[in-house]
Amino acid sequence: MRLSDLSRCFQGIIPSVIATCDAGGTPNIAYLSQVYLIDERHVALSRQFFNKTQRNLDENPLACLEMVDPLTFQAYRLRLTFLRSEKSGPLFDQMSMRIEAIAAHTGMTGIFKLIGSDIFEVRSVEKVEGFLTAAPAESPGDAPTLDGRRSEVRGLQWVSDRINRACDLESLLAAVLQALQEYFYFSHTIVLLYDEIAGRLVTIASRGYGQSGVGAEVEIGQGLIGTVARERRLLRFKNLDSDLRYSRTIRRESSETGCAEIPLPGLSDPQSVMAIPLTVGNRLVGVLVAEDRDPVRFSEWHEAYLEIIGNQIALGIARMIDRAAEEAEAAEPDPATRPLAPPTTAHAPVQTGKMAATKQHTLIYYKNDDAIFVDGEYLIRNIPARILWKLLEESQRTGRTEFSNREVRLDESLGLPPVKDNFESRLILLRHRLREKCPDLQIVSTARGRFSLQKNATIDMIER
Amino acid sequence: MSGARINRCLEHNVSVVVGSVNGAGEPSTCRALALTSEDGLSTLTVYVPVSTSRDTIANVATTGRLTVVATHPLDHHSVQLKGKAATARLAREDEASVVSRGFDGFAELLNRIGIPPRVTNAVTRWPAFAIEMRVEEIYDQTPGPKAGIRLK
Repeated sequence: MRLSDLSRCFQGIIPSVIATCDAGGTPNIAYLSQVYLIDERHVALSRQFFNKTQRNLDENPLACLEMVDPLTFQAYRLRLTFLRSEKSGPLFDQMSMRIEAIAAHTGMTGIFKLIGSDIFEVRSVEKVEGFLTAAPAESPGDAPTLDGRRSEVRGLQWVSDRINRACDLESLLAAVLQALQEYFYFSHTIVLLYDEIAGRLVTIASRGYGQSGVGAEVEIGQGLIGTVARERRLLRFKNLDSDLRYSRTIRRESSETGCAEIPLPGLSDPQSVMAIPLTVGNRLVGVLVAEDRDPVRFSEWHEAYLEIIGNQIALGIARMIDRAAEEAEAAEPDPATRPLAPPTTAHAPVQTGKMAATKQHTLIYYKNDDAIFVDGEYLIRNIPARILWKLLEESQRTGRTEFSNREVRLDESLGLPPVKDNFESRLILLRHRLREKCPDLQIVSTARGRFSLQKNATIDMIER
Repeated sequence: MSGARINRCLEHNVSVVVGSVNGAGEPSTCRALALTSEDGLSTLTVYVPVSTSRDTIANVATTGRLTVVATHPLDHHSVQLKGKAATARLAREDEASVVSRGFDGFAELLNRIGIPPRVTNAVTRWPAFAIEMRVEEIYDQTPGPKAGIRLK
């Protein structure tokens, strides 16, 4: 029997049990949240506290590990010999990252940490014969591998094709998330892009949630997503710890108290989460997140395969961002591409627009916070907020409603970097937030590199 | 930990695991079906399936050292009882209801955390061995700062 055949047992859904014995011959039993498969002859256990199991292993290296398959409930026994405890190296880093991600997510950073990775030689693996009277009926979700293999090539082909065909970043992101749902049945997905200026990840697209959460931010190193971005490594969690779910519930409750934060989209009761860093070389482009209520939704197969898909997506996004910047740079200036005028201090109501304005909205730009509120509700901040304010000022001053990406990019007061300014992603963010919070004010693409500001209401602008 | 909390290990919905060791110091595990005590845990009887307990019964016969861990699947409240096995015998017919009650309660809790009866119904429950043990030490095994503290 091969250890790799027991991959579901290593998912930690049903805690494994380890028996050890001290020098005096008294056995000890401990539950393990996670057992790591190293290779066909070795496993590793995380050592987070010094306890009886470790003391016993120092006296007697023999151990017995019992694991249970969460789908079939079949039990397996592994006879182990403790070899060593590692306190650094690739395995330690991988195990430590996982623990740190949970710690960061639950506010236990520095307290909940890995002391060592205990390596065991597996002397034998045996199925516990007679544990089950009969095989349980097949689970509906019991064929992920076959399904995966059927979709493997087509999925990769489909995603690549959609990335190549996308005419802009927004359609690329929508196509990728649709592909993940159609070919991998990932119903709840989020893409966050890395904003180099702010040093944060910003939600740019999502699928499968009531609220898109576009604009929600995650600090590098914060929680599971921020940890994945910092470490540039994929993380897959099954059977999420109750602490993790508890923490998330608290955060969700907090986000409903009216603070100026956009809540990150997320299921209230996820059982599995997978976060994939989107990188091109050493450059962090963003993070792709998928979550599900099924505790065994994401398998090792997904992990390996989606790293390839993640690379495709990262390349596609990076290419789209770079291309937009190059096109703007190379474009011939025309009368509409002069830099926007400097800001004015007094604002009359903006009433221009294609439709008669019968409604009224008040937009307040808080300069110190660099944030805009619409009718008392948080709308957007940082560079997208400055872009919107500039457009509204220009529209108020000249009556213009048509703009080009280039002229906005040329405006130094917006604080865009000279290269790789992510302008398109900032515009997507702004467009989404307006759609959700102020549908009477819209930014609509009119041609490549051009857009119009469409208002269906009187906009009162106040600057504080 | 109060006596009442220690006695939670006797509720009919706990996960029970038995640890034993052979003469060469090789430990072994066995998932048990039920746990009872008539004298406030001075002694206990733990039931293990005949089909999966060959090593455990052999170890009881040679070293007699035994550890029983009872854990609540929902809150992870856990107690470890260590001692010496007095006897191991085939469970009587009148003890079948004890085994059923213990494992059914555990399966019901598993169902609440996503492991359906379709799966747990397949676990072998009978015939069973009854291992009677004299409890010498009791430890708190609940994850946290007090894990490993001796209670009795």
